[in-house]
Amino acid sequence: MYLFVAFSALWVLFFIYAWSLSRRQARLQKELEELKSKAETGRPLAPS
Amino acid sequence: MTKSLRSVHFFVTLAWMLLAFWMIFLYAPQELTMGEVQRIFYIHAPLGWVAGTAYTIVFFSSVIYLWKRSPVADDLAHASGEVGFIFCSSLLFTGPLWAKPAWGIWWTWDARLTLTFVLWLLFVSYLMLRSYVSSPGRAATLAAVVGIIGFVDVPIDYMAIRWWRTQHPQPVIAGGEGSGLDPRMLLTFMVCVGAFHCLFSYLLAQRLRLGRARREVSALRRTLALRSPEE
Repeated sequence: MYLFVAFSALWVLFFIYAWSLSRRQARLQKELEELKSKAETGRPLAPS
Repeated sequence: MTKSLRSVHFFVTLAWMLLAFWMIFLYAPQELTMGEVQRIFYIHAPLGWVAGTAYTIVFFSSVIYLWKRSPVADDLAHASGEVGFIFCSSLLFTGPLWAKPAWGIWWTWDARLTLTFVLWLLFVSYLMLRSYVSSPGRAATLAAVVGIIGFVDVPIDYMAIRWWRTQHPQPVIAGGEGSGLDPRMLLTFMVCVGAFHCLFSYLLAQRLRLGRARREVSALRRTLALRSPEE
């Protein structure tokens, strides 16, 4: 029981962290592409 | 790091972790007094080693940041602090799960456990400083100071079970006379230490990539905000 909880909780935690990293990366990548296209077209940045 | 190198890193980590798991459950012999639950040792102790490695990286990167003001060193310290926090939290979670069946208690405030808890608090303080101080330069400097001062805890935590009598078991690796492991247990343990360091390096590389992207977004935002509407 203790062994099962230790191993499964460990993997759940690492998967959640890896998933959160990839989500944050995807969001930043999208923002980066939007900003680059704004920079290319010369449009000013809308106030955030 | 290119996409193909990232894939190689991912598959090496996965293969190494699978090998480690195979060894934990099918290769390493069962311990005589504690039985199956002793197998927690193969994940618990390597998590501790990685937490120490992570804070050591925070320390050296913080020194380099304060000395050279290098943003790369700052990114590395921040990334290692965040990934190290995950490993240190896992260490504190798996420890009581092993302590309860082995000692009959979840936790005790002995030197090793207390110093490990302090290490976890240091990771938390480091990350909180980075989140709550609004000026990025000031946050980096203050976090670097915490990263350097807090490093004192790492060698004392490592030596605690050698210097003092603790509830925590005495060292089985480099513990001197009378200590040691069955050769199959030792090999399994070393493979697990390698596997967890490989996992750490993979997550660290991903977190560094995120830090770089964040820096790039901030720079681009500043450039665009400076641009006047007439341009």
